[in-house]
Amino acid sequence: MSLDSPTTPSPTLDQLRAWGLDAAWSRRVALPGAGGVTLDWHVLDTGAGLRGTIVCVHGNPSWAYLWRDVLTTLSPEWRVIAVDQTNMGYSERTSPRRLAERVDELVAFCRQEVEGPLVLVAHDWGGPVATGAAARLDVRALVLANTAVAKPDTVRVPLLIAVARRMTDLVCRRTPAFVWAAARMTGREHRAALLAPYRGSARRAAIAGFVDDIPLTATHPSAQPLAASAEALVDLTCPILLLWGGRDLVFNDRFLADLRRRVPAAQVQRFARAGHYVPLDEPLGPVVGRWLEQIGEVGASPGSHETTTTSVLFALDEHRDDDAPVYVGPEGALSWRELESRSGVAARALAGAGLAPGERVSLMEAPGPDLLVAAIGCWRAGAVPVVVDASGGLRRFRRLVRACAPRFVIGTPRALLASTLLGITPGATRASFSTFPRSLDLRRAAPSPEVGNVSAREGDVAVIVHTSGSTGPAKPVRYTHGALVAQRRALRTLGLEPGSAFTTSFAPFMLLAPALGMTCVRPDFAVDQPSELGFDELAGALKRLAASAAWLSPVAARRIVASARGRRVHLDLVMLAGAPVAPGLAAQVREVTGADVRTPYGMTECLPVTDGTDVDVPGARGGFSTGRPLEGCLVRVVDIDDESRDLTGTGEWGELLVSAPWMFDGYDADWSMNRDTRRWIDGVRFHRTGDVGYLEEGRLFHLGRLAHVIRTAAGPLASVAVEGVVANGLGRSIAAVGVGPRGAAVLCVVVEGSGRLRLAERALSDRVREFAGHRVAAVLEGPLPVDHRHQSKIDRGVLGTDVARVLAGR
Amino acid sequence: MAMAMKVLLTGGSSLLGRTTARLLIERGDEVTCFQRSASGVATSEVRGDVRDRAALLDASRGHDGVLHLAALVGPRLPYQGAYDVNVTGTVNAVEAAARCGRFVHVSSTAVGFAGGSAMGEGVGTATYAGSDVYATTKAIAERYVLDHLSVPTVVIRPHLVWGPGDTQLVERIVTRVRARRLRLPDHGRALIDTTYLDDAAAALVAALDHAQAGEAAVGRAWIVTGDDPRPLAELVGGILRAAGMDPVVPSVPAPLAAAAGWMFERWWRGSEPPLTYFSARQLSLAHWFDQREVQAALGWTPRVSVAEGLIRLTRWFKETARVE
Repeated sequence: MSLDSPTTPSPTLDQLRAWGLDAAWSRRVALPGAGGVTLDWHVLDTGAGLRGTIVCVHGNPSWAYLWRDVLTTLSPEWRVIAVDQTNMGYSERTSPRRLAERVDELVAFCRQEVEGPLVLVAHDWGGPVATGAAARLDVRALVLANTAVAKPDTVRVPLLIAVARRMTDLVCRRTPAFVWAAARMTGREHRAALLAPYRGSARRAAIAGFVDDIPLTATHPSAQPLAASAEALVDLTCPILLLWGGRDLVFNDRFLADLRRRVPAAQVQRFARAGHYVPLDEPLGPVVGRWLEQIGEVGASPGSHETTTTSVLFALDEHRDDDAPVYVGPEGALSWRELESRSGVAARALAGAGLAPGERVSLMEAPGPDLLVAAIGCWRAGAVPVVVDASGGLRRFRRLVRACAPRFVIGTPRALLASTLLGITPGATRASFSTFPRSLDLRRAAPSPEVGNVSAREGDVAVIVHTSGSTGPAKPVRYTHGALVAQRRALRTLGLEPGSAFTTSFAPFMLLAPALGMTCVRPDFAVDQPSELGFDELAGALKRLAASAAWLSPVAARRIVASARGRRVHLDLVMLAGAPVAPGLAAQVREVTGADVRTPYGMTECLPVTDGTDVDVPGARGGFSTGRPLEGCLVRVVDIDDESRDLTGTGEWGELLVSAPWMFDGYDADWSMNRDTRRWIDGVRFHRTGDVGYLEEGRLFHLGRLAHVIRTAAGPLASVAVEGVVANGLGRSIAAVGVGPRGAAVLCVVVEGSGRLRLAERALSDRVREFAGHRVAAVLEGPLPVDHRHQSKIDRGVLGTDVARVLAGR
Repeated sequence: MAMAMKVLLTGGSSLLGRTTARLLIERGDEVTCFQRSASGVATSEVRGDVRDRAALLDASRGHDGVLHLAALVGPRLPYQGAYDVNVTGTVNAVEAAARCGRFVHVSSTAVGFAGGSAMGEGVGTATYAGSDVYATTKAIAERYVLDHLSVPTVVIRPHLVWGPGDTQLVERIVTRVRARRLRLPDHGRALIDTTYLDDAAAALVAALDHAQAGEAAVGRAWIVTGDDPRPLAELVGGILRAAGMDPVVPSVPAPLAAAAGWMFERWWRGSEPPLTYFSARQLSLAHWFDQREVQAALGWTPRVSVAEGLIRLTRWFKETARVE
């Protein structure tokens, strides 16, 4: 190689070592290029692999280093080759390249270097290159990270690109500004490695070339090849995984939404905290490895809901001319007829403004008629409402909504203003039932064809709600139309009869009224503060309309009981759900309401699971009875340390797995979580609840969360089982937590009290130990922290940390 | 128990030494106690000093194993004196054991104290680097033992041994409270594990049994405890009640206790300062350990819970009072 060779020398051994790369990986490949010219590429190649070869393609401006984690974690299982594209990284500097040539070169490389199964992994502008190549190669799978095959209409040209395009030469080549700006998008530790091959303007020419190659107009030479890549992506038959950093200023969630629309079958793993350089920000190796392992193992879900059409809203059809209310709240009532006509107008307005079926709409309305109209309007337009409550704080709200990448946002003027100012729904079209500048007025229909009732395929996504976050970070939960129809049937078997009315302390339940053909009566309280729902509020609601059923959180029930002061209301049925319920509370509620009080088991992902009968029946292993599993719902109990051990018939306690036709479809954009929580038993999909409990004589007893099982040296202890006995004996609220490492933790009991968390007095300690039945290391007294959504689940995570802090001393 | 052993036990006049010797004798082993003063155990006895190499080697002749308990214990020890007993004595014991065939060295949890709390941790290395002379010399001794393994050796660190007749923990608490000189750091909230005397003795016997080639216990240091941690306040209160005293002890903020200990250590003129920095920190911080591995390795589990131990202690206090 002569001294004036344009080829960039490979990185030195010291450099490779400093960057955490195996020096043996770095090698050069002679690639026959166009016109008989041989290209000199630099690659990082881990050598032989057992399963096949993964070829990783970087974008601009980065290089093979980007795939460090994939290289280190997936070899020797896979042979991983991370290439430096022509003019990039440590590969040869030659004449400028356009997309079509890059695709040709990648195809040539794979044909020359790879034998056996091939997987392509690509990032950023490597995405269109790899996608284009995939169409011409026999690829087993395609993994794309923060990339695009087209610019969605709703997205403006990213600022960084726009600036770079104006002054390409200055920003990208003559100065390292673009490279620097890009390297700042990830951790400081990667900066040196990312910048190294781009020192000196001669080496940066391709970066400018790459930016110039972004087709912003249809006449651009790369516009056609890009469109070809987009087409190829749709036509690919191999499994596709989309990996996404949620904090990318260039390829934001709109691009993810665009890709998901193009390849709906793709699996998605979004990392809320990662940025543009998601391969560096997140340990992608294990995720990709597990995903590749699973390909082909699990087929499509059995009982495939592909063709059947369904509608959860048939009640709306039945009642279209009904002047009876479907909703009665403190702000007024909404009749079926109004709901039918107003939601029709909203649906037409949305469709007229470009909302396509399957797209997502964030609902930021307060519970009330407008929320109902908005949700039904979305469904009738074929869209997917995203219902997130803001009670968990703005940060969480923003994270959850952004992850869903809604195309529209419907809200009060205040909500729309906040959403716009805080960037909660970037790029989404605003819509409102009131006047808000530059927003769509949902009270005025667009002159578009009449929309009918919802008629969706069973497997189509119907709604996205979210878990409370009281048991781990809040996660978006996807429901299909088929599941909603099944859920309506399940709720009816619980005694929620069409034509009757119910009241509730849970905001999302209000949306169920039109589906159930029932009337929802909303008590006057802030829905994110269920503890504000007392007897007066409940009685007030029932005065407006005599509901026969109530669905209450335990904290609301406690407040109602506490504020009743001898007064009574009449209800036929009360469901207490959302947290474990002590039998004592059920009895008190029965006293105040005269109702049949039930405590069904269920969770955001599958509701309901049991019928909630027999609340007073004690179980041999403690905990609370939640009644019998509903017809159609399957419950399995498996060993908490070895899930292959099925304990269902034994009466032993373990983790609960549930399956029901009305179960959720999956966590949205969270492939890893879905993989961790989905189990297939005899071809049936089960949901790992993360709860523990047991079955006894057909009844399901709930023992709290798996995460709250105290792993003592003497064996696992279910916190709820301990708490039940002690709380009963003591007549006070208590929480049992473990302190210390898993497997050697000790049991500590906290008795609810005021003031700071501290050691309990001796008399109290002695009494707790008397009832506990297990060795108690320490008894403390202090406030019990509760979660924000239901305000009824004790936050044992926080409490455990507090207890450990007190007992650690200082 | 397979065959009776002939055991040389150093430090037989200490409470733990006596108790262990009795336990060995009860099950049929032959025990020679080696110490400066009378052990009070009905067994063959050699009066000697572990610092005296020749005497120790001489005494160990014909024995199957050495159980080395002898140590100089106390706050603010003179360094050289402590070094001679705790380190030189151990060097001699290692040499004696090399001729016998098995060795159990009794160390202390203090050797692993790194200034922080231990919440269910495993055994760390003897890296003590503080200013306490006892902990420093015991750490040197333990490292010496583990660096000079010639016969199957087990190192045991019994954690806070207490029981009837104990002059370290129980008696110190009782006399300090009588003198109104005891304060509990932060209301005694630190979770602390202790070892009841009989359990500690049984652990040493088990260690002796497992000091054989091929055993998992060999060549390592192990912390043994009663596996029943309690907040310091409960332990102190329990001991005071057992002694028939008012269990209420005033509290002092932990940092203040540490500062006071630091000052006492430097400027206290009397023989034993009311508090040292080391002991203040030990009382302010949690100390309990993961016992699963050691229990499996020694085939031993503690039998006396804190509650049961306190009942026995109460009985003992009553009996002693009657005698007096």
